[in-house]
Parts: sequence; structure tokens; C-alpha cells
Amino acid sequence: MMTRDRFAAFLLGLLLPLAASAIDGEELLRKVDRNLNPESYEMYRKLINIEPDGRRKEFVLYSVKKGRDKMIALFLDPPSEKGRATLRIGDNMWLFIPEVGKPIRITSLQSVVGGIFNNADIFNLDYSAEYAVEKYEQRPGGHYLELKARTGAVAYDRLKMKVDGPTLLPTEIEAYAASGLLIKTLHFKDIKDFGKGIRRPSVLETDSPLYKGYKSILIYANIGRRDLPDEAFTLEYLPRARELR
Amino acid sequence: MRVRLLAACTAACLAGSAVAQVEEKYGFDVGKFEKKPFELSGYAELRAESFRLNRGAALYKLNFFDHGARTRLDRTSGALEVSALYRHGIATFQATAHGEVSRDNLQSGGRTRIHEAYLALQPSTGLRLEAGKRALRWGKGYAWNPVGFIERPKDPNDPELSREGFTVLGGSFTRSFDGPLQTVTFNPLLVPTSARLNRDFGTGNHINPAARLSLLYRDTDIDFLILGAGARGMRYGFDFARNLSTNLEIHGERARIHGATRPVLGAGGSVTPQSGDITSYLLGMRYLTERDTTWIVEYYRNGAGYTEDQMRAYLKFANDAYDEFLATANAAALTRAGALQPSYARANPMRRYLYVRASQKEPFDILYFTAAVAGMYNLDDRSWSLAPELAYTGITNLDLRLRIFALHGARLTDFGEKQNDRRIELRARYAF
Repeated sequence: MMTRDRFAAFLLGLLLPLAASAIDGEELLRKVDRNLNPESYEMYRKLINIEPDGRRKEFVLYSVKKGRDKMIALFLDPPSEKGRATLRIGDNMWLFIPEVGKPIRITSLQSVVGGIFNNADIFNLDYSAEYAVEKYEQRPGGHYLELKARTGAVAYDRLKMKVDGPTLLPTEIEAYAASGLLIKTLHFKDIKDFGKGIRRPSVLETDSPLYKGYKSILIYANIGRRDLPDEAFTLEYLPRARELR
Repeated sequence: MRVRLLAACTAACLAGSAVAQVEEKYGFDVGKFEKKPFELSGYAELRAESFRLNRGAALYKLNFFDHGARTRLDRTSGALEVSALYRHGIATFQATAHGEVSRDNLQSGGRTRIHEAYLALQPSTGLRLEAGKRALRWGKGYAWNPVGFIERPKDPNDPELSREGFTVLGGSFTRSFDGPLQTVTFNPLLVPTSARLNRDFGTGNHINPAARLSLLYRDTDIDFLILGAGARGMRYGFDFARNLSTNLEIHGERARIHGATRPVLGAGGSVTPQSGDITSYLLGMRYLTERDTTWIVEYYRNGAGYTEDQMRAYLKFANDAYDEFLATANAAALTRAGALQPSYARANPMRRYLYVRASQKEPFDILYFTAAVAGMYNLDDRSWSLAPELAYTGITNLDLRLRIFALHGARLTDFGEKQNDRRIELRARYAF
């Protein structure tokens, strides 16, 4: 009897720190999410693909998000992409192309823009909505998190995130495929005050060992709280997403 | 302490200058992208095509019997599409005009069409009223839409091309909910026809009421659609689309059409209109592989299509009519067969088709490059067409596409009797 109790206490002793770290890690991740964006927001982003020879291709996107799982991303530039819009509700995703004239349901992993960006860069919901914390460590000057995708609907299976201690903002994220292959590294830079209590990195630089010499940059602007009616996040409204601005 | 403060200040200054550097280097003037009352956009397109004519095919004989023997036809065309949008309060006016000119070895010509021109009022996010010419798109299919009751036929070889709409009066009412039923949208509309309005929708004075009820229910898109009796027979149907997994989507459509009519060529060349109630349906899927290849597969049952025997009879009649013309110089039978081309020679005139398209994004890691191949198989007569395609979008606003079509089939089959058996097409489109 005594042996069994000791064994149970031993197991509990092993598991408790794990549970505590998971809770701490999840809380930290939710704070990181809120420090990056309000739960419901609008923002403008410029995406720049830079090729090894210096050639650039640029896109400008307007995005709105509501709650944990509703998001619209609308291309504003270049003209060849203008008007393309994507609606995401949880794992459901639809693409609207003006010439086609109606939203088409696509698989959630379908990439809607060329280059080294993929959906995870453009239609990402909160990290805490898409990832569970597997490992959490406090490190000098900050925190370290290892995250695992909650479903197969996200492009990166695992993330390793470094978080700045004082600001609780991410400084670097490594994104891995299920095979363990490093797909890309995201570097969060240049903290900027966007007003109304939103102070976060304004530049996100990405490099990838899969695309040696290529670099991508996201520049954020006009991030603000925006609470739209649910009817804006519907197939009927998607062709008119440009009216949300 | 002072040293630390100095270091912190220096770091802050450097960080600040880094922000300025990145933003200055790449430039992001958000003001440039603010919503404006007036917007203009569009594209200009150049297309070069070369057709290898199939001189033994029935449709070649019908279309070229009076042009002398040819083995090739080259065509160049240019198109300009311009869209304008004007906003004022809750009102929006939108119009799209499409013009094109083309020239080939035999003729040249051009035409301009207004694809859309309508006024919309949007008092709230969930309510919208529209009046004017509108290109409505119903259905979930990629290559075909049996429930596309209020639209001009889609070209399955170019399903994403914009098309001209019809003049309608309609609205949409949308409500979202928490729970398994996430969204409901109701679209009632009228498609009036008269001697001056929507003449190519149907004849006679009719209001042609129609409606669509769309649901997002348990992560499945479902539409119920109806077009009331009027210029066309009553028709109704439904469609659906759903993701079965993160890389697999399925979709389908089913339409029931009352009083569908088509001309049927009988023995001796007599033409009789055949009328009846028909059912058409489509089942399809979209699948993304781990290597980023997208597969689209669709099966189409065309209830309004001709049977294999009916098609063979028509193609045989056309071939015989040509032989008669060669023997007697009498083109009467050829003219009669030619007059039936809008029915017998339209895209996919028979009953059962399979469409498969595989597209590979950025093969060999070449950015902005897509390779694809699309195949269409006539399951009734086993004839087919295959179209490999290369597309490049690496130059901002310029889309380049090269396609080759190969058609194959035995005598008296759908694809075996088309006027060309090969076609090469190069398209350059510049968006502005």
C-alpha cells in the first residue's frame, strides 16, 4: 500500500510541474497574441518577396479578423491581384477571384499567393487558437515556447518561439514541418506604437533554408481594433470585402 | 549606470533608425490604398493561336467547305476589359465593359459588350438591393454548373473567364448565427424578358422570378436554387461543397429542368424539336497533395445532352452532306447541318463527361511558375481532349500562359470530329 502511495506521489510530482508549465505557457501564448493584435482588428500589410538578384515583388493586403476564428484578407495591390479576397472561418476557407465572380471553397492548405509566402503568413489566426504549448522555459531576458499545431489545417506543424521578457512580444519563430524540417524563420523587428495601446513589431522578416538567398518582409500599418458584424464574414459579403475599409 | 543608460539610448536610436530604414527602403504609404469614391481597373490582353485543322472531321467540313482546303489557321486577338466603380453613401455603381478584336487567315472582326452595369444599395452589412446588368454565378462546379440557371454558358476550357450577365432586379438578406447553422442568405430576383430586355435569355414578356437560399450548415455550403416558369421552363436544384480534410474538398450540383427542348436530327435530315423534363448533375473534388499539386476531378451528367446514337447520326449526316456537295456542288444539306451547330457543336453536347485538372505550383522551386494539365474525357464515345499548360506570373501585373490542346477520337465521336485536332495558344495579360 505504502509503495503504491509513494509511486502515485512520485508520478504526481513528475506531472505537476508539467501541468503548471503548460498552463503558464498557454497563458503566455495568449498574452503574446493580445500583445500582437487585439482579438478583433483591422490592419494593412505590405508583403515583399526579395529574390537573390534583388528583384522584388510586392503585395498590399487589408485584413480584418473577428474573434478567434473569422478572418478576411483582401488584396489591394498589385492590380493583377486586386480584389482577390479570402475568407477563413475556422478550418473552412474560400477564395474570391473577381473574374470568376463567386467564392470557391478551397482546401485550407491551398496557397493563394505565389512566392515564399503561404497561407500561414497571410491568414494566421491567434497562435493560441492554432497551436498548443508543448514546452515552456523561462530564459534569461525572456521566454521560450515549443508549440504543436492543434490540427493539420495549419501550414507549420511545430513552432519554436522566443519571447522578449519585458514586452511579451515574439522576437523569433522557427517554423517546422511534421518531418522536423525547418521551413522558415520569422524575425520580429522594429517595435512601433500603433496607437490605442497597440505597441508591437512593425516589420517581420522571413528567411527560409528551402529558398536560399530569398527573403520576405512584411510591414504592418494602421493596426486598430475593429468589431464588424458576423454578416461581414460570409460568402455573400466576400465579393464586396473592399467595402469594409 | 550611465554607461548602461547610454547603451540603452544608443540601442533605441539604432532600433528607431532601423524602422525608418526598412520603411524608407521598401516604402509603405498606406494613404495610397485608402478607399476612394471612384476606382478604375482592368486588363489588356494579347492572344496568339494556331489551329491544326482536321480535314477529315465533320465540323471542319461544315465550316470550311467554301474556303478551300486548309491545314492551318492562325489567329491573333486583342482584348480590353475595364471595370469602373463609384461609391456614394450606401449606393455603389459598378460597370464592366469588354471589347475584343481578332484577325485570322480568313476574317477579322471585333465586338464590345457590357458584362455588368448595376446599381447596388447596401443599407446594412446583411442587406443589399441590386438593379441592372449583373453576372450572377450559381453552383460549385469548376468546369460545369448544371444549376447556373441565370448565366451564359461557361467555357470548360477556360472556366475562369469573365462572362456577360443579364439584367436583373434582386436583393440579398444575410443573417449569421451561433450554432450548427452558421449563415443563412436569401437572394430573390427577377430576370425580366421582353423584346428589348434580356432577349437572349428567352422570348416573350416574362418576369422570370428566381431565388437562391444559401446555408453554411455544420461547415458545409448548401444552396437551394429555383427559376420559375417563364421565358424558360421551370428549373430547380441544389448544390453543396465541404472540406472532408485539410487537403480534400468535395462538391456537387443537381438540377431538374422542366420542358427542356433541343433539336434532334432524324432520318433523312428532318429536324424535330424534342421536349421533356431532364436531370443534370455534377460531382467533384479538389485535392491538394503534399507536393503542392492540386487535383480537380469532376463527373458531369448532362441531361440535356445527345445520346451517342444521336450524335453519330448528326456527324454522319454532316459528312454525307459534304460528300454530296463535292459530287453535286449542292450545299443545301451542309447548310442544314450547319444550322444545327449551336446545339450539336456546342461545348460538351453529349451526356457523360469526366474532367481532370492537375496543377503544380512552382515545380522545381521556380517561383511564380505553374505547370498544369487539363483533360476532358467523353465517357459515352471515349473521345478526349488534353491541354498541358505553363503559366508565369513573376513580372508584376503580367500573366503569361502557354497552352497546347490535343483532341483525339475515332470517327463520328465528339472530340474526333472537331474542326481542329491541335491548337497552341499563347496569352499575355497585363492588369492595371
